[in-house]
Amino acid sequence: MRMDMTMKIRTFFYTFGQGIRNLFRNLGYTLASVATITACLFLFGMFFSVLINFRHIMLQAEENVSVTVFFNEGVTEEDIQLLKIGIEEREEVASVTFTTADEAWEDFAQRFPEGFTEGFLENPLEGSDNLEIFLSDVSKQPELVSFLKNVDIVREVNYSEITANALSGANRLLTYASMIIIAILLIVSVFLINNTVATGIANHRDEIEIMKYVGATDFFVRAPYVFEGLLIGIIGSMVPLVLTYYIYNMAVEVISSRYSMLTGILQFLPVNDVFYYLVPISVILGVGIGFGGSMFTVKRHLKV
Amino acid sequence: MFPAPRAHSYRNHEQNRLTLRCGMEKNMAGISDEIVISLRNVSKQYTREAPAVNHANLEVREGEFVFITGETGSGKSTLIKLIMHELQATEGEINVLGYDLNRIRHGKIPKFRRNLGIVFQDFRLLRDRNVYENVAFAQRIIQVPGDRMKRNVLEILDMVGMADKYKRKVTQLSGGEQQRVALARALVNKPFILLADEPTGNLDAETAWEIMQLIERVNRDFGTTVIVVTHDKAIVDRMQKRVIEMKQGEIVRDDALTQEQDYSYDYDDSYDYQDVDADGYDYED
Ligand SMILES: Nc1ncnc2c1ncn2[C@@H]1O[C@H](COP(=O)(O)OP(=O)(O)OP(=O)(O)O)[C@@H](O)[C@H]1O
Ligand SMILES: [Mg+2]
Repeated sequence: MRMDMTMKIRTFFYTFGQGIRNLFRNLGYTLASVATITACLFLFGMFFSVLINFRHIMLQAEENVSVTVFFNEGVTEEDIQLLKIGIEEREEVASVTFTTADEAWEDFAQRFPEGFTEGFLENPLEGSDNLEIFLSDVSKQPELVSFLKNVDIVREVNYSEITANALSGANRLLTYASMIIIAILLIVSVFLINNTVATGIANHRDEIEIMKYVGATDFFVRAPYVFEGLLIGIIGSMVPLVLTYYIYNMAVEVISSRYSMLTGILQFLPVNDVFYYLVPISVILGVGIGFGGSMFTVKRHLKV
Repeated sequence: MFPAPRAHSYRNHEQNRLTLRCGMEKNMAGISDEIVISLRNVSKQYTREAPAVNHANLEVREGEFVFITGETGSGKSTLIKLIMHELQATEGEINVLGYDLNRIRHGKIPKFRRNLGIVFQDFRLLRDRNVYENVAFAQRIIQVPGDRMKRNVLEILDMVGMADKYKRKVTQLSGGEQQRVALARALVNKPFILLADEPTGNLDAETAWEIMQLIERVNRDFGTTVIVVTHDKAIVDRMQKRVIEMKQGEIVRDDALTQEQDYSYDYDDSYDYQDVDADGYDYED
């Protein structure tokens, strides 16, 4: 058989040429589906940018969520150090710091004017040796707390349930919401590509029929349409990325200049950090929608 | 009676051409004893009603020219579609060029089809392309290199008398011209078999005759086996070829026997083929 290289290259160029030709022959539909994918991925990009910043801010907040443990009287430092090692080994724990009563008092004293603490002969914070535990996953706080409460040397566990709950709740909500939105966008886009490619196929029925009579292979008939969908997907993912890039930078600039008091609290991610994730996701989505959508349509409408 | 079919020897497509073109004994009319189409007890039932083709038996040899006639709805188009494997038989065996069409793999159909040239009553040209592109289309599909394609297309357009109009949009052609282009497209890949379903159905008598002369020339000069479905009694009578008549799905007449004498009578030496060209062949002479 001489299905050699030149033949493959010729097929490739034919497919390429026909795919592009289809885009233009069907310009109205092409523009409509590029616009829809653009709109979908643009929305997705915006949503993603907000989401990733929100998560960034929340992660910072989570880092400050801590559980503090105080101990019974007479518990030795060795006991506490031993417990610290045990806690550090737990999955949800990011770090543990040990503060003795004396350190606590010094820390306290430093916040007051010189001489304020002079009247005290003994450490008034006696017995306030403590461990401060920072979590890597705030949703696991209840498990950690119940574990700590059952340790016999522990007198008291201080924690804020509300903060932890609010944070992990918001986190979950955002994850679900983003998944649903992505699913909807995917469906809408696939539907549109499906329509565009199906229209193209319907418009070229006669041509496809003749191709089959002359002995074109399935691949030869189908490839241009799949390629057309792929191109729509690629263009539809590039346009919103460019748009998002500029809008993101503008938004960050406007927010930080107009609400300058927020900048201390809200640390926005630089655009490159956002795009580090957004570019591959968008391109994969665009290509996936384009390729998958047209493949599906071609399989359904182009029984060769 | 027909000799035992030897269609199996067509299995290899390339070898096939060689065998057909050089190796076979042919009689005066260019017909070998190689059977290229064989139908055995073939029926096609679209619905539960009477079958469109009913227990048809048919054998066509390489180089033959066969007319299929019959009243409307008698199953002529269905028979052609069975041969080109657009339809599958509900019953019986169809063998075309060594392909067993009941068992042909889907992936092999394109390869099979490349042996056929197909012409329809309604031309089926690509309306958004010019004459050249319509013919070249068939060559692109089988991926003929550019320079060779150009040569082939212009050559075949010349043969059908459309070379000077190769740049015309097909919408600006007369019916007869469109059918010439369609014929060129069917022939440009040098098929073994030409299947034509009412190729002259939309044309006036004179144009119809010209097209028919072209098809005959293809049969004679290229050795292409030709099957033409037609209503045109005048043409059938005049051409003196094998005629198969269908009625309610059955083949009710097949006069393969008269061919030999007809050919010798039809093509005596004084017959000048070169007069059959695009600008009209005066058949009233
Ligand atoms: N796709 C189909 N579905 C159902 N019945 C069909 C179909 N195509 C054809 N038929 C029926 O099959 C029979 C044969 O049709 P066919 O087209 O083969 O006839 P024909 O001889 O070509 O007629 P004509 O001379 O009018 O072209 C007819 O009764 C027709 O109604
Ligand atoms: Mg018919």
